[in-house]
Amino acid sequence: MEATDKVWEVFIQKKAGLAFKHAGSVRAFDKKMAIQNARDVYTRRSEGRAMWVVPTEAIVSVPLDNSDAFFDPADDKAYRHATFYEIPDGVKHL
Amino acid sequence: MEKFQEAFDKIIEADSKVEPRDWMPEKYRKTNIRQISQHAHSEIIGMQPEGNWLLRAPSLRAKQVLLAKIQDEAGHGLYLYSVAETLGISRSEMIEQLHSGEAKYSSIFNYPTLTWADMGAVGWLVDGAAIVNQVSLQRTSYGPYSRAMIRICKEESFHQRQGYEIMCRMAFGTPEQKEMAQDALNRFWEPALMMFGPHDADSVHKGQSMEWKIKRESNDHLRQRFIDRTVPQAEYLGLTIPDPNLKWNEETGHYDHSPFNWDEFWNVVNGNGPCNKERLDHHKKAHNDNKWVREAAAAYAAKTETQVA
Amino acid sequence: MKKINIENKEAKFLTRIADTSLILGQRNAELCSNGPFLEEDIAISNISLDLFGRAEEIYNIISKIEGGTHEADDYVFFRNEREFFNIKLVEQPNEDFAWTMARQFMHDVYAEFLYTQLLESKNDEIKGLAQKALKEIEYSLLHSRDWLYRLGLGTEESNARLQEAFDHLFKFVEEIFAFDDLDKEYLPNCGELQSQWNKEVNRVLSEINIERKEYEALSMRDYRDGFHSEHIGHLLSIMQYLPRAYPEAKW
Repeated sequence: MEATDKVWEVFIQKKAGLAFKHAGSVRAFDKKMAIQNARDVYTRRSEGRAMWVVPTEAIVSVPLDNSDAFFDPADDKAYRHATFYEIPDGVKHL
Repeated sequence: MEKFQEAFDKIIEADSKVEPRDWMPEKYRKTNIRQISQHAHSEIIGMQPEGNWLLRAPSLRAKQVLLAKIQDEAGHGLYLYSVAETLGISRSEMIEQLHSGEAKYSSIFNYPTLTWADMGAVGWLVDGAAIVNQVSLQRTSYGPYSRAMIRICKEESFHQRQGYEIMCRMAFGTPEQKEMAQDALNRFWEPALMMFGPHDADSVHKGQSMEWKIKRESNDHLRQRFIDRTVPQAEYLGLTIPDPNLKWNEETGHYDHSPFNWDEFWNVVNGNGPCNKERLDHHKKAHNDNKWVREAAAAYAAKTETQVA
Repeated sequence: MKKINIENKEAKFLTRIADTSLILGQRNAELCSNGPFLEEDIAISNISLDLFGRAEEIYNIISKIEGGTHEADDYVFFRNEREFFNIKLVEQPNEDFAWTMARQFMHDVYAEFLYTQLLESKNDEIKGLAQKALKEIEYSLLHSRDWLYRLGLGTEESNARLQEAFDHLFKFVEEIFAFDDLDKEYLPNCGELQSQWNKEVNRVLSEINIERKEYEALSMRDYRDGFHSEHIGHLLSIMQYLPRAYPEAKW
């Protein structure tokens, strides 16, 4: 297609209570078209109960060169995980 | 640079997935673009030989099933275009490459569908062969391609059954229907086997693609798997596979077969099949005739959409 | 081949609705692999599938009312031109995407109000069908109406094409509302159907810069008597070819 349409990312919620999950993308010229296209492309087999479309260009991601700086500092903070802690045998419900 | 190459090599070695924003060798990117766009174009051009019978489907059920199947193919082409777009090529560029002949699609779709039995043969053999290939590609190393393949395999599970169901009705129907079924098998058998591509010894892109785990199993390996599965299905139908040398080989545990007509294969790949021009012209016409529609949608969006990003 | 006579009054009335759905489904199916872009191709296939599915369900109801003398497929494949009772609007060809969408919009507005009245049917099966169909129709209307805004207000060319499509298609509107006794028996409020349709269509056209031209009454015979434009014969000859060429075959 010509340069004037854009790519939209599609997120679908399968059931109430579940998180929205990325399903894929569609091309569309406007918002209404984007949500309709997403419906026709990604929910043909009753995959959804709610849906978001977001212009791909609006998504901000971590710069590739900085990914170590973003994520590695979390690696040595084991105290954020439950398994870090020692609980005496026999103590329950913790 | 070396640090990036190392990280990439590690991903491949560990059988983990390369994601769009990871560094990758330029040739890995290009090879994936070539393969994925070719796969996408095959889905899209593949709509035509079946679309040829859509308006003539002989029952309401057959019509709805066929339309849903062709629609799936459009959807799968779309998923694959989206995957390729994550590698830095736009859909319009891919369509341009298709129209210019620079990008290829599976040769099988350059054969005409002459009778309703061909809807059976295409579903059974062509989708059947495609599924063997696609199941293998679920383990491909490029993450988005692998995810698309998983989704596509799940959705396509009904396609081959739909084809085989038509074959059953034809093969067990009137003598005329059975004749059509045999004729369809005769015409599609060898082209379907050649869908897996040249023999391993003659395959140009094989080595590197296997090393990078873009391709997970060799052409001949996949082809043999398909033959071994399909022969008993043909026997059930009471149809004869059009190969006098086809027989079970106790030693190898596989079916032997005659050599294929690779001259025809390459001739069709190079544009001289029965319908190459028709298929491309059809796509170009739909695309060009509707340019005004896309322009209208763009103009309307420009007037009405508030900038989101 | 024996002529298929539909005897029961209710079955006759339902045939009009089933045929309209079938023929429009077939017209939309022509767009498969010919859409303006991939996403829209998929969208039109969905609409087409809804229409075929709906037609099939109504033919099944007709078959039941008629005592099972014929199956749904018999009604589709073994009736001739004069035995089809679809509104002429839906058999008009896909000259371009503007025709397709204008035709769809005019149909969808009609269908929305028609099926709403069918909700009051005394036949539970029809009531159930109408409930399900209305969801499909509502979506289809959303889709076709949005496209009218894009085409009407998009470019000069798209506006001109849409105007031309409407100029042609409006010729086939008058008969839709020329209700006969049969319609009046099964639709609680025929007059309202027409005024609702006019109101919605006029509203949209006025917003998208499309003119609804005045027509002099055409000497066109009614679809309720099996009159058609010449397009129907070509459509049927393609659609019905296989079962007629091989009448013994099962598919």
